[in-house]
Amino acid sequence: MRIIVGIKWVPNTQAVRFDPETGTLIRRGVPSIVNPHDLPAIELALRLRDSAGGEVIAISMAPPPAVKGLELALGMGVDLAILVTDRVYAGADTLATSYVLSHTIRKIEREYGSVDLVIFGQETIDSSTAHIPAQVASWLEWPYIYYVREARILDNKVVRVVRELEEYIEEYELETPAVLGVAMRSLKPRHVSLSNKIRARFEKKLIIWSNNDLKLDTRCVGLKGSPTIVAKTIDMPEVPRRKEVYKPRDARDAARWIISRMLEDEKLRELLQRTLWGVKS
Amino acid sequence: MRVLIAMVRDRFDIVIVGAGPAGCTAAYLLAKAGFSVLLVDRGRGAGSKLLWGGKAYAQPLRDIWPELDREAPIHRWVSRDRFSFVWGDRVLTLEYKLGRKVAFTVYLPELVSWMARKAESVGATFIDEVVIDEIIVRDGVVYGVRSGNDIIRANVVVDAEGINRMLLEKLGLASKPNPYSLSLGVKEVLSLDSKLIEERFNLDKGEGLAWLVAGDITKGIPGGGFIYTMRDSISIGLVLSIGHAADMAEKGLLKEHVSSLVESFRLHPYFRVYWREADIIEYGGRMAIEGGLSYMPKKLYTNGLLVVGDAAGLLVNTGYTIRGVDTAVTSARLAAETIVEAHNKGGFTEDNLRAYEEKIKRSYIYKELVEHRGIEDVFRDQFFFTKFPALATRIGAKLFESDYEEPSMLRALLDSAREEDISILRIIYKLGRVARKL
Repeated sequence: MRIIVGIKWVPNTQAVRFDPETGTLIRRGVPSIVNPHDLPAIELALRLRDSAGGEVIAISMAPPPAVKGLELALGMGVDLAILVTDRVYAGADTLATSYVLSHTIRKIEREYGSVDLVIFGQETIDSSTAHIPAQVASWLEWPYIYYVREARILDNKVVRVVRELEEYIEEYELETPAVLGVAMRSLKPRHVSLSNKIRARFEKKLIIWSNNDLKLDTRCVGLKGSPTIVAKTIDMPEVPRRKEVYKPRDARDAARWIISRMLEDEKLRELLQRTLWGVKS
Repeated sequence: MRVLIAMVRDRFDIVIVGAGPAGCTAAYLLAKAGFSVLLVDRGRGAGSKLLWGGKAYAQPLRDIWPELDREAPIHRWVSRDRFSFVWGDRVLTLEYKLGRKVAFTVYLPELVSWMARKAESVGATFIDEVVIDEIIVRDGVVYGVRSGNDIIRANVVVDAEGINRMLLEKLGLASKPNPYSLSLGVKEVLSLDSKLIEERFNLDKGEGLAWLVAGDITKGIPGGGFIYTMRDSISIGLVLSIGHAADMAEKGLLKEHVSSLVESFRLHPYFRVYWREADIIEYGGRMAIEGGLSYMPKKLYTNGLLVVGDAAGLLVNTGYTIRGVDTAVTSARLAAETIVEAHNKGGFTEDNLRAYEEKIKRSYIYKELVEHRGIEDVFRDQFFFTKFPALATRIGAKLFESDYEEPSMLRALLDSAREEDISILRIIYKLGRVARKL
């Protein structure tokens, strides 16, 4: 079983500012982290490997500092990590990124043998498009299931997948190779282990590929290969909060006060009526 | 083959906890001496938990890295040391012009990253973003370290965990810190063109200035201010005694937040001209040792364990200089020497490691610490933070701010003392005490 897990090196959530002139994120001075929604994906990959055997390879397309993210994946127990990095990949939208990642997967198949599963997080905290797993599946022409919460390897290269939707649960059996998108917060990621980090260092499990290795047409990658344009950005003004502190005698008093305050406000009164009594005004 | 490698890698000759100046120095020297060395830090990259942007003394570092002047991320060589008393708008400043390259300004995280790269270049293994939970002792002998469920064995553990001694506390070798032994350092980095820095501080190209400030900028809290010129920024801030600040806040004598104290310092009319039009590009806070022997654990060694740097309480604070980087580096050098000698003697027993504490006691660090013993008490004496700067600046005002007659020096002193309600005898007594301790 050879499982690939894709991770993204993202600027840490609220610390990011937006450049309204270029319509891009200002990453300078912002500490980056592994996209938190990728951690359940790493966890699922490791669980599948632990039960069915084989190896997990983490991949990421990012500038060189992202080795810290791949070190985290190695610390969790991933067997090999590949950073795909090149100046010509800079400025990529999801299409150009998925193009590079799918060719990375093809190269892994050539160098290490066939790949059975490619697992991604549901989306990333810095863009939330959820494009990448679907696009990679398209490039590879492999089936794709998303919102996955559980997966189990059956015999004959078949994987059974549970996806949980809002009102029902679906179970699929699909033949590998396949691409899975793992639901947010579906699995608790394991801790980074010192032993794993030491082993990764001594066995040189972190490797770097550039476009010299992938040899992709530079018109298809980076900014040049990205048809997406940011047409307009709207700065959402922060909603001022009206803070009030009330020291109630007991819970009943507190509830009464909250309700009475809500009834005084037209919008809140409407909300209250809708939620409590289903009344439409 | 793979299994075999994995088996060997759960054991090192030396495990060093904490990649600060002491930890990185120990890692460098011990790896260079041929030991297998694991250096671990919880932050991302070496020194990422450090904040110090100030003056470091060069020679103790050159003893280890003769290439220091050429290679290290030095910002400026300190050519001027200044000291000021501030009282309101009145300021009395002393300046000393240095003749040689004694100290340099540096951002400690940059210096420590350089040291960690040096350690890695001679074969030390540096792993970051991992927390060590415990130093394991079995049958009275250090066995290794535990991180989560992983145990890494070591013949010697070097504790370089810094001021927050969670591991030593667990071992019972250090007690919970006393707030009077600790200060809070708050720093701002102001970005300014290097040419402007040189013009405004009267410096030649590449020269730097270190400036300590005492007076009412700390609102009576024992401590002081600092200003250091970096390459193209200025590092300014305050160091405040935590215990005293807490006491004063409790008594209602301190109403302002620490950030507004730093802001008042930055906006002080005497100082602000130096960083006119500069942008604040960074700010932060960190604990520091007050200095003196009070933070030193009872023992710096056990069977298989040595304590170095801030964890060993080895910071010298004389009031006019603060030395923590070179003392950390030197303690690590002495620890490394001791480990090599113990290895040659046949083992890392308590007996063989005792030499470390003896080396520390013979070193300049300890001499300084003993020399300035009790300086904490002087610093705690409000006289030096309120009365003394007030008096000094009042004398200045009498001498230099007179429209008609110029009083004699003595007359200025006596009048000022009377106006500040301080007896001359008390001044002499207090000054005598300071002179003995400094």
